[in-house]
Amino acid sequence: MKIGVFICHCGENISRTVDCPRVARVCESYPGVEYAIDYKYMCSDPGQNMIRDAIREKGLDAIVVGSCSPHMHERTFRNAAVSAGINPFLVEIANLREHCSWVHDDVEAATQKAIELVRMAIEKVKRDKPLSKINVPVTKRVLVIGGGIAGIQAALDTANAGYEVVLVEKEPSIGGHMSQLSETFPTLDCSQCILTPRMVEVYQHPKIKLLTYSEVVKIEGFIGNFKATIKKKARHINEELCSGCGLCITKCPTKKKAYNSFEEDLAFRPAVYIPFPQAVPNIPVIDESVCMYYKNGKCGMCVKVCDRGAIDFDQKDTMLVADIGAIIVATGFKLYNIDKKAADSKYKGYGEYGYGKYRDVIDGLQFERIASASGPTAGEIKRPSDGKVPKKIVFIQCVGSRDDSKGISYCSKICCMYTAKHAMLYKHKVHDGEAYIFYMDIRAGGKMYEEFVRRAIEEDDVKYIRGRVSRIYEENGKYIVKGEDTIAGMPVEIDADLVVLATAMIPQENSAALARTIGIPYDKYGFFNEAHPKLRPVESTTAGVFLAGACQSPRDIPESVAMASAAACKATILLSSDTLEREPVVAKVNEDLCAGCFYCKKVCPFGAIEVKDVKDMNGIVYKEVAYINQGVCQGCGTCTATCLSKSIELAGFNNEEIFAEIAAL
Amino acid sequence: MDKEKWEPKIVAFVCNWCTYTGADLAGTSRMKYPANAKMIRVMCSGSIDPVFIIKAFERGADGVLVSGCHPNDCHYNAGNFHARRRWDFFHELLDFIGIEKERLQFSWISASEGKKFADVIAKVTKDIKTLGPFTAYKKMNSEFTAVFPEIQEVVKETIIKEKETV
Amino acid sequence: MEELREYAKELLEKKEVAAVIGYTQVSENRTKPIIITDPADASKLVFNEYCLNNLSVYLTKARINAMCRTKDKIMKLAICAKPCDVHSIVALIQENQVHRNDIVIISFNCHGAVKDFGYEFSGENLASKCITCETHKPLYFDKIFGEEKETPKASDAALARIEELESMTHEERFEYFNNEFDKCIKCYACRAVCPLCYCQRCITDKAIPRWIESSSHQRGNFSWNIVRAFHLSARCTGCGECDRACPMDIPLSLINRRMAMEAKKSFSYVSGRSLETPTLVGSFNEKDSDELFM
Repeated sequence: MKIGVFICHCGENISRTVDCPRVARVCESYPGVEYAIDYKYMCSDPGQNMIRDAIREKGLDAIVVGSCSPHMHERTFRNAAVSAGINPFLVEIANLREHCSWVHDDVEAATQKAIELVRMAIEKVKRDKPLSKINVPVTKRVLVIGGGIAGIQAALDTANAGYEVVLVEKEPSIGGHMSQLSETFPTLDCSQCILTPRMVEVYQHPKIKLLTYSEVVKIEGFIGNFKATIKKKARHINEELCSGCGLCITKCPTKKKAYNSFEEDLAFRPAVYIPFPQAVPNIPVIDESVCMYYKNGKCGMCVKVCDRGAIDFDQKDTMLVADIGAIIVATGFKLYNIDKKAADSKYKGYGEYGYGKYRDVIDGLQFERIASASGPTAGEIKRPSDGKVPKKIVFIQCVGSRDDSKGISYCSKICCMYTAKHAMLYKHKVHDGEAYIFYMDIRAGGKMYEEFVRRAIEEDDVKYIRGRVSRIYEENGKYIVKGEDTIAGMPVEIDADLVVLATAMIPQENSAALARTIGIPYDKYGFFNEAHPKLRPVESTTAGVFLAGACQSPRDIPESVAMASAAACKATILLSSDTLEREPVVAKVNEDLCAGCFYCKKVCPFGAIEVKDVKDMNGIVYKEVAYINQGVCQGCGTCTATCLSKSIELAGFNNEEIFAEIAAL
Repeated sequence: MDKEKWEPKIVAFVCNWCTYTGADLAGTSRMKYPANAKMIRVMCSGSIDPVFIIKAFERGADGVLVSGCHPNDCHYNAGNFHARRRWDFFHELLDFIGIEKERLQFSWISASEGKKFADVIAKVTKDIKTLGPFTAYKKMNSEFTAVFPEIQEVVKETIIKEKETV
Repeated sequence: MEELREYAKELLEKKEVAAVIGYTQVSENRTKPIIITDPADASKLVFNEYCLNNLSVYLTKARINAMCRTKDKIMKLAICAKPCDVHSIVALIQENQVHRNDIVIISFNCHGAVKDFGYEFSGENLASKCITCETHKPLYFDKIFGEEKETPKASDAALARIEELESMTHEERFEYFNNEFDKCIKCYACRAVCPLCYCQRCITDKAIPRWIESSSHQRGNFSWNIVRAFHLSARCTGCGECDRACPMDIPLSLINRRMAMEAKKSFSYVSGRSLETPTLVGSFNEKDSDELFM
């Protein structure tokens, strides 16, 4: 075997601390090395030509490049080798920059280390085997997790491109938080009015399979070939038979047994319910924890009134398995919990604001419901405690957000805008009312956003006070808000009838658990990480998994929709080809030697290992051995280390190569 | 052996996705750490076989570091969890057989922890320097190579140095 | 004893099993393994305190499995197993070497076995594993014989030895084990007798690349013994056959026991006790200790 060694100076980045000519000279004398040279920029065109020419002229079989990290230029040098006729897997990189010249000062020590690193690479390349890429088929179906506006948009775009979509929503209806909003900034158009047509479109789309009241419990496989296990929770209503007449709901005797979570606990619902009148699908759910039938086996009123016999008390959770090519995660957000319960969580809570203690200290979503025409007050602004119309409302921004001491350092982004909207909506409905907003900064970046805030201040006379609120307490039916006006430099005290807290957006409950199920990374708050903050904002680092909406970071509606369309586009690009090319770094079993203990199968994180029967001449299975599905294997090599008889090898990192590297030290 | 001049030989087995990339970041950030440790890149910390460590000692290593992604951050989801159990037993075994715990160390270093990488290498190097050369194993090694010179696959340092002067 | 013979005879006569693996008496204080295929030979079977061998090792032997294969099916195999041997069988089932339905486990109420053949069974001549044994009744069986009796008392010398070794310095321990391993003649009797060393090709026989230097030199001996112990970590059920087989008296099961202690301490796991519990190797818990890692 003839090996060529190419040592890059990287300008002066490597040569400043590593004596590159000496490394090349030493390596040239090394057994198996035919040719060694150093050059100022190996990755440049002349540098690559130098490699190509040397391969052709010297008849090299394999090359070692001493340069920057393989994560930088491995592909460059592999391509150069390929164009000169060498298999790309007969190229090894010795990392002389990031792992050597940049981290050491002493020229002698760095040069010695560089020689050893190159020597290791030479020993490895001697044992490298030519590998060719693996082609795997692509399942042309997209799984969208979350049926809020982002999930709806992603599902529609993907389906309209002609691909099948499975849309999974954990609540009984799609719509998400957007369906709870009264009006949307900066246009003040009705949220439901623009959303419901989209929801119906999803429901009626022939390419979209809608699974509500369902959760993704397992994801196996890899890009182009995922397998999703989805738990469809028991609704106790036969979806095929139910006509959505709603008679069961009106007749249910448990009228006001449970808090209505769609109304943010400002109203009640019976045991059998649909979340809101425009729900899609318009099929009720029976809440076992409240229903009399599950308590004492009696009642059954709904069964009596349902003329289609759709009530099914014995219905069980069912598991569905779907083959999936790409996944779009759009699980959205929830609001920072500010009541006392927050004490045991990582967030500190705002006991000083009395949320949870005073019924008239509410959060932004509760105000949305109060302001909504379909809400518990039918759109009239009334406070929860006594139903009186508040004459003075104090809005407090950045409750949780931008507050390290409370556990969240990021800006929730939407609160400046929706608080301005809230104040405006209030002023439009209660003309003699007064609205005060405590803010830290007004962040109104966005089309028509700044103008919207100015309108609130100038046309609707909303009073903005720059400063924080230190305490809220009740006095004679009023809530005394004590704060500071930092511009005037004096304390402020307002006797409000209602206080609205713009609490931080945080990821959905269990977002970290879901991330682990799917296999995508997440940050310390539980928001999912994008592959690159600027250039790959809707991709996760896991190939074939895309992100849309507020599950990635706080987003407003237009941004969520834009992300959703982008994610759908990324997914359809992936699905547009029939096969995918994969790196051939996969494990393979030597079936003759396999003892069939299947520890490899137990440790494989991807379920790539199957049981293969070995039969005798009479067709009787006398031995079982492991078989690795090369399409599913991701090449981690955990099986190779677990295998006791050493019957599995990982291509590109086989044990012989690693032993050679150790031996070369 | 001259203890003053002696520099420990340390082998680091690192995973491609986290620790290797973390080491890249240490480089990009121009952090400085001792040059004793040489890295062997594998795909996942789960693929590192304990025999690799024995081999490293057989090749004269004074210390070994094994490093991978943090729990729950593994590129392959669970490779490092399996590795964690494996190393618990192997480390305990080596300790019982009489190999100091510092000879074989472990860490989780993510792609963003360049500083941690530099610190860990510095710590391991310092620990091994304090312990001194792994003479017990080196004695076995030299006896072995004396009996079976043909099995010694390594081209000795001296050969390289000789040729260098030519 | 007669019941055992009758039962074995019946199994063979009705062709429910291809063979019965059991013990037969060779002299007053000594038994040896026997494989019976003829119902008439069932009278040779015995069970007593001298049945020391762990017969489960035969379950994975190719020649014995070949006996079970007929033209159209695989016949069952009956095996006489002490409660502790059942642990090995459980481990084999968990590692897919034996299917539970392919074997008939004939077990016994056990009150201990001898340490050495040729001597009377007593507290002095009691196998090391019996001293701390907690399963005098088998955990899994198809048929059980024998009455419950008291196990003779004896002191746990192995544990005392482990504690003694742990109180030494690393240098002293290294020297001790190195000297012990140095005695190894690479006869691989420990491997042949171990029920869990069923690999067709052992790691030490793998030549390309060479995993363990197989020449009988101190360094190769050292790595072989480390790897043997590591491969049995959290798998070894503590039958102690390796100790009995080793002609050089290397304290093999002492190391195995130390590793089993680690499994129990850190993971509350004892190998071969339950078919329902996942094996420690091959599973993980996110909450496993992170102490080892910087």
